[in-house]
Amino acid sequence: MERFLTLPSEANNDSERHMKIVVEETHKGTLTFRSHCPPSFIEGLQMESGLGHFAHYSSIIPNVGAFETIARNKAGRVTLALIDPKLVVGYGVCWYPDKEDRWSALGDLMYEMAAVEVSRNFRGLHVGRRIMDLTMDDDFFEDKITYMVGLSWHWDLEGKGLTAAQYRRMMMDLYSPYGFREVYTNEPNITLKPENVMMIRTGSRVSEEDQKKFRYLRFGIKQPK
Amino acid sequence: MSSGSPAPSEFKGAQKMMKDYPKTIVAKDGTLVRLRPVVKADEEALRKFFAQIPEEEQWFLRENMTDQEFLRKWLNKMDYDQVFPIVAVKEDDGAILASITLYRSASPAIRHVVHLRIMVHPEYRSLRLGSWLILDSVKLSMDLGVEKVIAEFVAGVEDAAGAAAAKLDFQQEGVLREYVKDRQGKYRDLIIMVRNLHKDWSDF
Repeated sequence: MERFLTLPSEANNDSERHMKIVVEETHKGTLTFRSHCPPSFIEGLQMESGLGHFAHYSSIIPNVGAFETIARNKAGRVTLALIDPKLVVGYGVCWYPDKEDRWSALGDLMYEMAAVEVSRNFRGLHVGRRIMDLTMDDDFFEDKITYMVGLSWHWDLEGKGLTAAQYRRMMMDLYSPYGFREVYTNEPNITLKPENVMMIRTGSRVSEEDQKKFRYLRFGIKQPK
Repeated sequence: MSSGSPAPSEFKGAQKMMKDYPKTIVAKDGTLVRLRPVVKADEEALRKFFAQIPEEEQWFLRENMTDQEFLRKWLNKMDYDQVFPIVAVKEDDGAILASITLYRSASPAIRHVVHLRIMVHPEYRSLRLGSWLILDSVKLSMDLGVEKVIAEFVAGVEDAAGAAAAKLDFQQEGVLREYVKDRQGKYRDLIIMVRNLHKDWSDF
């Protein structure tokens, strides 16, 4: 069973005004999904044991403190999947690219879907899909080129029991329903292994000129001819 | 990164991969190029492309792609599950600059193997078009569940293409000594290069 709850009427900041909440019953318990989690909400949460450090794999986000930092940053977004109700079993985080990052050359046009991760103990429940649903349900993305970078050395191949090629396809299947498609780039980390993937979603209000600039930037050319 | 999405039970067929195209790249000189599968309407553009390949290199092609009748038949009987040709076309005028074809047998004994054949227009070499096409083929092969990609290069003729493959982790696995003859009747070695696509997660 799934039900949508009303938004908090006393919301006093931008994050809380945009917050969406979905509650879903699963055979592992009641999961609550929250988008636009503000730092005040994150305080006191804990990571569930299926997120963290394992023999061949470590979570991208090591602790809940990192969520607070992301939520405090300009346009940093945190979508959480919770149980119990203080245990984080999955998350999605997005932000503007770091200034050292190639993509920051285009300023606020570029926005990174930095990570979607689900606890090893809660996989197969469509938690990742629900996190994506809540995160992407926002007009904000229509002005952005939103991108994701999948680097195989971050993937939990052992936990999923997948090859890198299968995992790559799974990532693409997760993102493509939201308008993401694979693009090529000569960015060194991405080109290091063929299974690595960069996908982008071009917002409906992104101009042709900006799209062109991004196309060239993907190949390290800052000034298109 | 991880997600809760269900694992794909099996890889998709080549036909389904069509939706991933076109893919845009920017060549080293700034030329905008699209990678896309060949369609029947490409007949004339393909014929023109192969006609501009030097005769010394055309000699080594297994098919006469400049023969209009042959080309038409080849395009008409094309089955993407066995022959998947991709072209690199110039975005402004649609001219074909390079082509790569993935050949995959229907036999279950070697269904896990793909053979590549690549050709780049002489005026557009050293722009890394061949490298992008090989990379695209490797990614496509992964998505198709292929485990081994094989490319063959004629020694002394296709060394640049072989070097591009080596940069993309193709390893030389064999040499067929004096396997082919060039137009002058001189024997040349055929270099066999293989890119293994790891089957098991523990290989990484």
